[in-house]
Amino acid sequence: MRYTPREAFFAFRRAPLLTALSVVTIAFALYTLAVFGLVWLNIERVLDDVAQRVEVIVFLEDGTDPGESATLMSELATYPEVDSIAYVSKDDALARARADLSEYRDLYEDLEVNPLPASIEVALKPGFRRSAQVREVAGRVEQFPFVEEVKYGEEWVSKLNFLQDISLFLGLVVGGIFAAVAFVAIGATINLVLIAREDEFAIMKMVGATPGFIAQPFILEGFAKGVIGAVLALVLLTATFSALEQRVLSLGFYTPAQIVIGVALGGFLGAVGSVLSLRRHLYGGTT
Amino acid sequence: MILFQNVSKEYPKTGFALRDVSFHLRRGEFVFVTGPSGAGKTTLVKLITMEERPSAGTVRVSGFSSDRIKRREIPYLRRRLGVVFQDFRLLKNRTARENVAFSMEVIGTPREQIGLAVPRTLAAVGLASKADHLPAELSGGEQQRVAIARALVNEPFVLLADEPTGNLDERVSKDILRVCKDINLRGMAVLFVTHDRSLLDDHVGARVIELDSGVLVKDTEAGDS
Repeated sequence: MRYTPREAFFAFRRAPLLTALSVVTIAFALYTLAVFGLVWLNIERVLDDVAQRVEVIVFLEDGTDPGESATLMSELATYPEVDSIAYVSKDDALARARADLSEYRDLYEDLEVNPLPASIEVALKPGFRRSAQVREVAGRVEQFPFVEEVKYGEEWVSKLNFLQDISLFLGLVVGGIFAAVAFVAIGATINLVLIAREDEFAIMKMVGATPGFIAQPFILEGFAKGVIGAVLALVLLTATFSALEQRVLSLGFYTPAQIVIGVALGGFLGAVGSVLSLRRHLYGGTT
Repeated sequence: MILFQNVSKEYPKTGFALRDVSFHLRRGEFVFVTGPSGAGKTTLVKLITMEERPSAGTVRVSGFSSDRIKRREIPYLRRRLGVVFQDFRLLKNRTARENVAFSMEVIGTPREQIGLAVPRTLAAVGLASKADHLPAELSGGEQQRVAIARALVNEPFVLLADEPTGNLDERVSKDILRVCKDINLRGMAVLFVTHDRSLLDDHVGARVIELDSGVLVKDTEAGDS
């Protein structure tokens, strides 16, 4: 085996207790981060579900020419914000009202004239559901003379936006804090390993090993510990998740791609933690 | 080779460790550096390895100069030096063979070369039969031989032995000195630092540099005594 991987591997065998301690520390740090991430992901998922219902309803004046409404619909289809368009005729509206508001069915049964206007329901694409954007689309549609009214639930859209902003902000701040804690924990455990091997550094420096060469096995070791810690955290997280899922319905879990990124992040944190601790040991004091 | 030109070293807290020291160690030469503890012997070794830089004057070692060497060049300077300490500084969890091989591995020597050089060097210090022993299974003298083998295996031009016999009894000390003399006979320069003047008795005529309170008080080569 070549020097660097062999040394990294030997470190595990030489100090199994210290290695286990650092791997478990890394695992718990990443686990805490992952649990928070999952909570945040689920909050985002709920908010996303709600955001899907953001739509602009364009009520048309009675007697609007079908040709005109068709023009409006093809115009709407060219808007970059628009995801889908549905035409709801007066009859459709009445049928829907009867179905939705069954307790008032009698009221609708006796009508001689259909009081409900025809409308066009415009669903917006993700990324165009902020209240300012919705208002912009509504404003453009209002310009058409045969449009009687445009509704889009301004108040609840801005409430939703507010919740999304809060969630993102908290996600970044709390997630950042957890990530920093994970990082410090990883760095501290690696530091312990380095202190235990101070004499090796001294000999390596004495015989003329370059700092880069000295660092390699430790960086690999940090990376490997990070990855193992991340996998351990994943096992723990999966167990927690399935226990929770039996009580709470329909929770979202990380996608395979996110899991791969998470494990890579563990390795990356381990490697960077090693580099930072190494700088102190290799360059601190005299050369 | 090693050239000290009016070298002084002053530490912020303890003051001068060396004062205006000049000497020249040529290729293949053997020199004792002696003096009581605190005379500046260890500082002199640290200046050669460039672990410390002089406060005044210049240290030149094998083409490197203390006033021009860059930090990233220091490892390459050290590869030309073999250093041995009083406390051996062996890795406890590695065998004699692994300790010697370690100093070749960490400078990126190819494995085939390590496989050839390590047994040869251990044999040269008389330890071929104990290659697979851990330091704890070796006597003090044997451990120091491993350390010498480790210093030699990269074929430096000089062996710097900083109080190599400080932890050893008289008989073993003479043994270690003989090993160093043998190495010198094969053409390698040796700078042998010791406070133990009795070691010099068997080596009348050898060059001796004597330090006292940081000042070079005697250099037998220079003729002053």
